[in-house]
Amino acid sequence: MASRLWASRAASYLRISVFNRGFASVVKDLKYADSHEWVKVEGKSAVVGITDHAQDHLGDVVYVELPEVGASVTQGGSFGAVESVKATSDINSPVSGKVVEVNEELSNSPGLVNASPYENGWIIKVEMENADELNSLMDSDQYSKFCEEEDAKH
Amino acid sequence: MRIVRSLKVWKLGTVNYLQALKLQDKLVSDRKAHKITDTLLALQHPPTYTLGKRRTDHNLLVSEDDLRSIGAELHYTQRGGDITFHGPHQAVLYPIISLRDLGLGARKYVEKLELTMIELASLYGVKARAGERGETGVWVGDRKIGAIGVRISSAITSHGLAFNIDPDLNYFKHIVPCGIAEKDVTSLRKEINMVLPNEELIQDQLISCFANVFGFSDIVWKNNSSLADS
Repeated sequence: MASRLWASRAASYLRISVFNRGFASVVKDLKYADSHEWVKVEGKSAVVGITDHAQDHLGDVVYVELPEVGASVTQGGSFGAVESVKATSDINSPVSGKVVEVNEELSNSPGLVNASPYENGWIIKVEMENADELNSLMDSDQYSKFCEEEDAKH
Repeated sequence: MRIVRSLKVWKLGTVNYLQALKLQDKLVSDRKAHKITDTLLALQHPPTYTLGKRRTDHNLLVSEDDLRSIGAELHYTQRGGDITFHGPHQAVLYPIISLRDLGLGARKYVEKLELTMIELASLYGVKARAGERGETGVWVGDRKIGAIGVRISSAITSHGLAFNIDPDLNYFKHIVPCGIAEKDVTSLRKEINMVLPNEELIQDQLISCFANVFGFSDIVWKNNSSLADS
């Protein structure tokens, strides 16, 4: 009980919200796709990764397939994949645009996706084509609710 | 009110690997477009070696020519997992299902595939277990009886599992199975050392175990399916 109180205090300090039941973290100020990718907008650029909920449901990531720099991505379209527990799972882009950078670290340390899904485990940086696309994404509160509903299914 | 989950099962007999892949691609596309409901392909392959997305062909111990000379094919795929062998008397299941509808992530999905094979083995008194972390699959002691390699695209699954009923285990000598050296491969036949019932019965039991583990209470059978009618 005391640790939960500490956790929620630490969470508000760090500006992340912690579920009441589960432990998957959600970061405020990011936008989220219903396929569990997050996007952080930095001007015209967007950094993309997968969420804590996603990495937890995947298991230990052993391989990340990255796109080429310069490749185009479309909102909702697949741009790469991760492998965990002998399953390859497509990753979809929350926004359309051109890939300007990929996280090369993931080739050596795919586990960063599990350990630091919102920071060091970032996957690609995209030069956005159309910032309006962000409006169709969820904010952190909507995403938290979405995850709760999904997890209640089984 | 409990949701009744419906599963359409296609029993395909022995199917060439590439044909099965083509069928799966079509079914995945149809499932994504909500044209079909959850589907399960039950089949066997002629002698075939396959690699996953990571293309770990260092685990193939002979040349592709050597494989051809023993009448086997080699295919590179987009599934997860390492190198494996498929062949006669090995029951293969390819579920094309929506993980979103089931509320499952990759890890839980794979755990249920493992459980499916563990349950089948237990019907024959064989105590199988899921692999340790990093060793996805189904084991009897230190011997692997069931393999898994899956692809998930927009939460729709393809590829799946392979359970050794009584395949010729010598075929596994040409590879480092699943990239794990020093561990043997086994089969149901080897573990119980008894005459097995009709293979089709065992395959039907595997399908029932799958339906049971995944909560599909309504099964629609499409027997003697020809690949032409999809």
